[in-house]
Amino acid sequence: MTTAARLETEDLGVHFGARSALEAVSIRLDPAETVGLVGPNGAGKSTLLKALAGMLPPSHGVVRLDGVLVRRPNPAVVYVPQRTGVDWSFPVSVLDVVLMGQLRRRTRFLGFGAADREAAVAALERVGMDRFAGVQIGQLSGGQQQRVFLARALLQDGAVFLLDEPFAGVDIPTQELLIDLFDRLGKAGKTIVYATHDLAHASRSSDRVLLVNRRLIASGPPAAVMTAGNLRAAFGGQAIVLVEPAPAPAVGQGAGAER
Amino acid sequence: MTDWLLDPLARPFMQHAFVAIVLVGAICGAIGTFVTLRGLAFMGDALAHAIFPGVVIAYVLGGNFLVGALIAAVLVSLGIGAISQNGRLTNDTAIGVLFAGGFALGIALISAQRTYTKDLASFLLGSILGVSRQDLLLTGAVGLVVLVTMAVFRRELTLVAFDRTFAQASGLNLWAFDQLFLLLLSLAIVVSLQTVGNVLVLAMLVTPAATARLLTDRLRVMTALSALIGAGSGVIGLYVSYHAGIASGASVVLVATGVFGLAFLFAPRTGAVTSRLARRLHFAHPERDVFAAEPTPGDRSLPAG
Repeated sequence: MTTAARLETEDLGVHFGARSALEAVSIRLDPAETVGLVGPNGAGKSTLLKALAGMLPPSHGVVRLDGVLVRRPNPAVVYVPQRTGVDWSFPVSVLDVVLMGQLRRRTRFLGFGAADREAAVAALERVGMDRFAGVQIGQLSGGQQQRVFLARALLQDGAVFLLDEPFAGVDIPTQELLIDLFDRLGKAGKTIVYATHDLAHASRSSDRVLLVNRRLIASGPPAAVMTAGNLRAAFGGQAIVLVEPAPAPAVGQGAGAER
Repeated sequence: MTDWLLDPLARPFMQHAFVAIVLVGAICGAIGTFVTLRGLAFMGDALAHAIFPGVVIAYVLGGNFLVGALIAAVLVSLGIGAISQNGRLTNDTAIGVLFAGGFALGIALISAQRTYTKDLASFLLGSILGVSRQDLLLTGAVGLVVLVTMAVFRRELTLVAFDRTFAQASGLNLWAFDQLFLLLLSLAIVVSLQTVGNVLVLAMLVTPAATARLLTDRLRVMTALSALIGAGSGVIGLYVSYHAGIASGASVVLVATGVFGLAFLFAPRTGAVTSRLARRLHFAHPERDVFAAEPTPGDRSLPAG
């Protein structure tokens, strides 16, 4: 069983100045795998995704894509940023945003051709947003904004999809669309990694969960990873009630004793 | 009325002035689109002031003021980048430090000249009536460079302005495109100095673009409209200046500000007055609401690439 990993890190660490955001993370991500990246705010989830995407240089350790060292962003790795990082009052239409996913492919002096636009509309159809193609993005709801980002990602047609908090602040139909999309992309052999601080989503729509808090705490199937001990190590005791229906006194005492 | 329009055009210095203000209005209007969308108004103002010593040094040495200004602009934009790399200071602090420092250096240098007051006034407020044919050619050439570069890199400039994280993930070099943008901005400012002056160039960068944003939701339309409003305000402002005998730079800026005021009040859909009217009419015409009605398949509006 030594098939090549699609994406892997070895002893990956990322520092910002004197502050360490990630330490000694070694993971492997295989084709056709959907991985939930779980941890509290500030745990380094976004940092790990950016390092995987080749956007942040590792302070130590390496990232490899299909065995080759990642030094800069690669078209095979599609990155979907958080919705909140974007100015939604910007004067561009839904179709304009989706076409930004074609930036690498078009020729400089010609505009986008009819084929580019058809592909963009097809991507919008896959997320149920084709009838909004001409709408200015400021008029969209949170879920619709997320769908536009997904359409842009689909248009890029990579082998790996890295999504930063795709479930945050979106409506239930969009959550279901995301789960369905992960399923289909997984069946097409794509690797999906998405960051979330929502434990319920992570256990429902991941083949595997990576629990992080500045270092890798646990990795494995959701049921095996989301144990009281692991979650306490990652979240510091506060999130346990959310996943354990019957709060065992021992856990409460344990958490209390730790403080 | 015909006399009012034609009289100024008979004078050669006014002909030059009209060509200059149209060029400057269009160049600043176009690049101003990105200045407003990226929230870089303070940066634009700072660049205009910080390149001042470069202009003065060129003037004192008898060199080309454009070269002096450009060298100063590149130094200042690199300096701002370097200072904000230090994690303790924010970008606008860095801008503030270099803005004031550069401007003071310019004043110090020019105050050593004998014709101090007159020189300072013409730098700060512009001297549009003294524009020569050679100045016009230079302004036109620089303007062409700015507009062509903007057109060639429009997608990159747009993506960097809209979504920096995704731009970086797409393999764009953010630093390089930021510097390119600042260089274009510096060029636009430099060719505007003679026409509208150091102090008021900010208005040409921000006001027409802000007006255009109120009138459209499309970046391309906004850029064209902003250039048009800039040039148009320039022409009307010059006429007003000629006939009312007021300073030309101030007159141009006041016209641009007036146009902004009109758009703010009466822009279709978004105007302060018009949107109130529209709300009243909403129940009479619910079909105009894009989300209320189910668009037909033929309804899909695809902008031309």
